[in-house]
Amino acid sequence: MNKQNRGQIRIIEAFLAVLVIFSSFAVSSNLTITQNVRKSGDLASVGLQALMTLDSDGSLGRFIDYRNWTAVRDSLDTVLPVSVCFNLTVYNDQMRQINEVNISNGALGGQEVASVEYTCASQSAMFRCYMIYLQLAVVE
Amino acid sequence: MPAISVDTFFACSLMVLLVLSAMAATSKLLYPYINNVIDSSLAERYREVSKYLLLNGGTPSNWGQNCRANPATFGLADADSDNPYALDIDKVSRLNSENLYAMSYAQIFTALKMSDVSFRIEIKPIFDVTINLTATFQLANETSYQFEILTQKNGIPIQVELKCYAIAEDFLETSYAYASNGESNFNITIPNDVGGPVLLVAFAKATYDPRIVSFGVYAFGHDSTSPKPKNTFLRLSPLNHSLTTSFVYSGINLSKVYALTVDYYSILEQTASSNQSATYNIPHFLDSSPTLLVATGWNSTVFFTEWTTYPQIPLQIGANFGTSTLSNVFAYTYVSSINSALYECTVWLGGPKE
Repeated sequence: MNKQNRGQIRIIEAFLAVLVIFSSFAVSSNLTITQNVRKSGDLASVGLQALMTLDSDGSLGRFIDYRNWTAVRDSLDTVLPVSVCFNLTVYNDQMRQINEVNISNGALGGQEVASVEYTCASQSAMFRCYMIYLQLAVVE
Repeated sequence: MPAISVDTFFACSLMVLLVLSAMAATSKLLYPYINNVIDSSLAERYREVSKYLLLNGGTPSNWGQNCRANPATFGLADADSDNPYALDIDKVSRLNSENLYAMSYAQIFTALKMSDVSFRIEIKPIFDVTINLTATFQLANETSYQFEILTQKNGIPIQVELKCYAIAEDFLETSYAYASNGESNFNITIPNDVGGPVLLVAFAKATYDPRIVSFGVYAFGHDSTSPKPKNTFLRLSPLNHSLTTSFVYSGINLSKVYALTVDYYSILEQTASSNQSATYNIPHFLDSSPTLLVATGWNSTVFFTEWTTYPQIPLQIGANFGTSTLSNVFAYTYVSSINSALYECTVWLGGPKE
């Protein structure tokens, strides 16, 4: 290889290096997963506070005792911010799902979902304990 | 210049360009993540501050009731309640600038003792009640007014039971309605010998949870001129279950003063009076509802009605972050209770941009 060819090879090498590195940037930027921890934490906090508010006078336990799923859905729908959609599942103390209908105000779809687990004790004469799983997502 | 030198120069230039591009790209890629970490810690701090405002009662714990005292440390929680996010009715009322004993933003800012945190607090009912007068039918001895009442939360209808009060000179009439789809139409008939203007008060209670209550007020002329804006004749300041009515004009004579809730109403008893003001006791009602206080009276020959609520909501106090670009602003919304009724409380917090 003569001296002139050596120079051309260096330029080709440099171009190849530029191509390799820029293509790696292009690929890696597509591979990065955006994790918005704050958003999810806020949403869980909002959901937990909503359940605590509804349970503070025993309303939530009473609705579940009477299997009044419409009241559960409508109460949550009113208390939660408008842009939040939810899906709620109620289990009894033997972890059997007791809501036979879907308690939801819309599909959670492909959004980032926050989950809240809440234990609700009924204030009726007979002691009953329920496990409530609430999933929340912000409607984009 | 030999060809090899030119080649080497180009190669070196390309390498320098490459390194600079790599540095720029790296910083561009990492910036959102670094920024997000700062934002997350800041958001977490502000979230704790917002909780502190609503879960802590301040000192002294009864600073809301004592109209002459300003708190040493600020907090809105009800000291007598076991429920979290239960706010004190008097502490909330003292945030409203309409109240004679309201705290200023500077006083609250000092009591908060956080020099790098600006804030804004908004407390309002969970949903809105809108009253529209749709038709008027004038008859020989009476006039019938047709109203449309809308109960919505950001445009979404709320199913409610309605209780309406119409108040005029020596006149109080109640009526009930039901809005299954967030809309109700009803009529009020008022004899023509009753002096106006008339104040229509509508309480709306969610059918599935009686703690979710809102209200709307609509004033209209009835055989009289149009009603004057709020606070034209009186300044109403409820505090510690006592209503202070301060006269704007010297020739004002008060007649009846009413306290209205969803389930009850009462005519208030005057406890003190002077030529500048009068004071009334506000009863403790048992239902989960704001108390709407309506004062009626005369300013020489003009009949008037003035009103306020206890707790004195809706209210907004604090810094205006609307057009601010100099600070990071975070908003936190909570459902708070005041005397068992539920309200939406939003706290905005901001500080210098880092």
